[in-house]
Amino acid sequence: MSEEGQMSTKNTDKDSFAVQGKLALPYTYFAGRVGSKFLTTIRDQKKIMGTKCPTCGKVYLPPRQVCQKDFTDIRNNWVDVGSSGTVVNFTVVRYEDRHLARKPPYVIAMIKLDGADTPMAHILDGLKPEDVKKGMRVEAVFAEKTTTTILDIDHFKPEAERAKTGWRPKAARKPYVPEPESGIEDKRRGGKPDMSKPVIICAALAGAATMKNQTPAVPYTPSEFAEDAYKCWKAGAAMVHVHAREDNGMPTHDHERIRTTHDAIKQRCPELIVNLSSAVGMGKTAEQRISQIVAVKPEMASLNTNTMNFSLLDRKSGKIFIDFVFENTFTMLQDFGKAMEENGVKPEIEVYDMGGLDNTMLIAKQGFFTNPMNFNFVWGVAGGQAFRVETFVALMNALPAKANFTTCGVGLDQFPAIMQSGILGGHMRVGLEDNIRMPDGELAKGSWEQVEVAVHAAECLGRGVATPDEARAIMGIHKR
Amino acid sequence: MAHGKKNRNVGIIGIGQTRHSSHREDVNQPEMIHEAIAAALKDAGLTMKDVDCIVHGNMELFEMIHQPDLWHTLGTGAGGKDTFRLTTGGTVGITLACASDNLVASGMYDIVMAIGFEKLQEGHTTGGITNMADPLWFRNLQTGALTGSKAYDLIYEFGEERAKKVSMTYRIIMDKHAGLNPNAHRSFGLDFAQADDLIKNSPKLVGDLKLIEMCSQSDGACAVIFACEKRAKELSKKPVWVRDHITVHREEVFNIFGYDDKYPAAQTQRFAAENLYTRNGITKPLEYFDVFEMYDPASWWGVDWFRDFMLLKGDEAVKLVEDHEIMIGGKMPVNPSGGVIASNPIGATALLRMAEAALQVRGDAGAHQIPKPVKHALASGFGGTMWTVLMMLEKELNWQEA
Repeated sequence: MSEEGQMSTKNTDKDSFAVQGKLALPYTYFAGRVGSKFLTTIRDQKKIMGTKCPTCGKVYLPPRQVCQKDFTDIRNNWVDVGSSGTVVNFTVVRYEDRHLARKPPYVIAMIKLDGADTPMAHILDGLKPEDVKKGMRVEAVFAEKTTTTILDIDHFKPEAERAKTGWRPKAARKPYVPEPESGIEDKRRGGKPDMSKPVIICAALAGAATMKNQTPAVPYTPSEFAEDAYKCWKAGAAMVHVHAREDNGMPTHDHERIRTTHDAIKQRCPELIVNLSSAVGMGKTAEQRISQIVAVKPEMASLNTNTMNFSLLDRKSGKIFIDFVFENTFTMLQDFGKAMEENGVKPEIEVYDMGGLDNTMLIAKQGFFTNPMNFNFVWGVAGGQAFRVETFVALMNALPAKANFTTCGVGLDQFPAIMQSGILGGHMRVGLEDNIRMPDGELAKGSWEQVEVAVHAAECLGRGVATPDEARAIMGIHKR
Repeated sequence: MAHGKKNRNVGIIGIGQTRHSSHREDVNQPEMIHEAIAAALKDAGLTMKDVDCIVHGNMELFEMIHQPDLWHTLGTGAGGKDTFRLTTGGTVGITLACASDNLVASGMYDIVMAIGFEKLQEGHTTGGITNMADPLWFRNLQTGALTGSKAYDLIYEFGEERAKKVSMTYRIIMDKHAGLNPNAHRSFGLDFAQADDLIKNSPKLVGDLKLIEMCSQSDGACAVIFACEKRAKELSKKPVWVRDHITVHREEVFNIFGYDDKYPAAQTQRFAAENLYTRNGITKPLEYFDVFEMYDPASWWGVDWFRDFMLLKGDEAVKLVEDHEIMIGGKMPVNPSGGVIASNPIGATALLRMAEAALQVRGDAGAHQIPKPVKHALASGFGGTMWTVLMMLEKELNWQEA
């Protein structure tokens, strides 16, 4: 445009009016009965359902009243579809406008949920647009505050790494029913292990010493614990073992923090058994260690059985980093055990060597332990014994009648120990408290990834994985 | 349209409609439309595979959705088929029929389905219509679809008492007809004895246009299947033939600055009728047609346009209404279905006029079937900016011989 032209335009603009209008165009859209059920199921049950055409077999999502291919009426033919699925296509929104659902850039993806034949569009969040790929696995994140719209699925995010964790393994077996008491000893006769029970998998999420500088996957905050516990439960754990932490990672005996952590896990995952530590961390007094158990009253808690070295050493050079004596006198064993039994907290009796087991059996003569007693054989603590196959068998054979046993191993001992426990009819504990790595030496993405290994081991043995309720039935735990 | 150039004859072979209602919360739009489509396919004894092309229409933005034809595919079965979306305002329903006729007559498709729908409960009709008006001069002033000018005209012409009475008589006749139509939205069971009371007590909307005289806002859909002569004869025992149709509008002179004698904007009805009848050699439409399904947005318009469409003069039309000659069983039954005042899912409304006229020709209108044989039927459509569409339907394929 010439300069002259611009001038004249300006002159014209000065004398001209523009109508700044706004039209209200209110509308209502009726979802219909089919669409309404779809929305309210998401809202109330956090479950996604489609309709299936019996004529052509297609599963429609969102659901349709009539099959669009053959016009079969499918309004009553509901099927569940997964809340995880695959990205079949996507686009990146890069411009900003008031009507948009997110601040750009953000991704809208076509997602085909597991079990559905038609993809649905939704926001894909939790990753950079450049990292989105066709074929990637994603899972629904349900809105905390519901609005009875499709945004009750708030968005989709990359699925927690492996597909397997999306679903708790379904046991291809009958539910475990406790046998009459006489059966238990009979089955061990002749040195044969009792493999009739499903494996109880416990995930020790944090411990007192695993820090984020070793692995970022270790939880500190209540919500991190809750999310981690949820993933472990999804992967197959029946129980989590918890040492609560401050935000800076220090183990804490603060009742409020421990309760908040405990409750966050129970809220996220009400079914799961929470097992609290009565060791807490280095340098805590007896009072600090037991009062929190009495205050919070978890379903289960650890009970330590002997005074021992509990130190940090360089395993290659033998050099001492931190020397510490873990004090567990007879009096403490007695007082802690009684306090737990009196408060309905099932003790998990921590056995670091044969002496600890013997200590327990001496105190047990007082008669306050309820059956069945539950022992955990702990391997590889610097100050306790290392994992040995024959020692494991010896410990098992020394157990009282009706007792259950599980096991955990520090570092490299973790996986061999749980496998032997599996073979002998015992249970398994894994988790970042004991070991931050996978069998191949890579850092575990979370305790849940080790739970997957335990699940695999249990399934290879044909034992199946115990649900939390089955675990309660086996271990004599009262559900809270 | 120059009907002489029609390439081949077109027959109506399937008719379906929903029940019309003020509210259909139980279904979404494609689900509601599907009801009409399923009924039309059943009526024709066809499946969706037999349909070559879909012509889909409604009022733009009345439900606040863009490109409804695309997302209605879920219910229309249009996936993978040629589809047209039309929107010509209130006439859209019958424009769908004209387009379908043209598409089949041209040889482009053998079987075409027209789908008209509206779910007025979901939108805001006045909000949508306000879009039509000039933002600078008119938008802030207009009253949506309501206008009282026709009442003013008739009162001026026939005197207050007679004009108001004939409008209410027309209204009551429509109510009686609607009572016989199970698909009709509104039927109050009115009687002629109530006319004076209604004139006095029905709330006024604009001028002398009263609430009782105005059409409804309805949810509903209509689907009609058109086939070429060969296929129509193969598939249907009683196809109804589309003889001719005409579309007239004076959109270019639609304005708010009053009428100009040189450009009588509001007179498209008579212009359309005169042209259509002349080219078909019809001189006395009142004698020729057996039934008339008229797009009558309100009873005032119904009375006045009846005069135009039948090429009547003076108070001839008023007398016919006063004498109940427009009732089922009368000389020229108008809207045996109850008309637009009874049911008005706008995008479907004008298609329903043609569909109801075709049902009369077939003799399949049920309780509101007129008693005498129907050989020749007329249907009309009306749209906001004075669009008029007229369509002639025939029972026999014999008019070309004449």
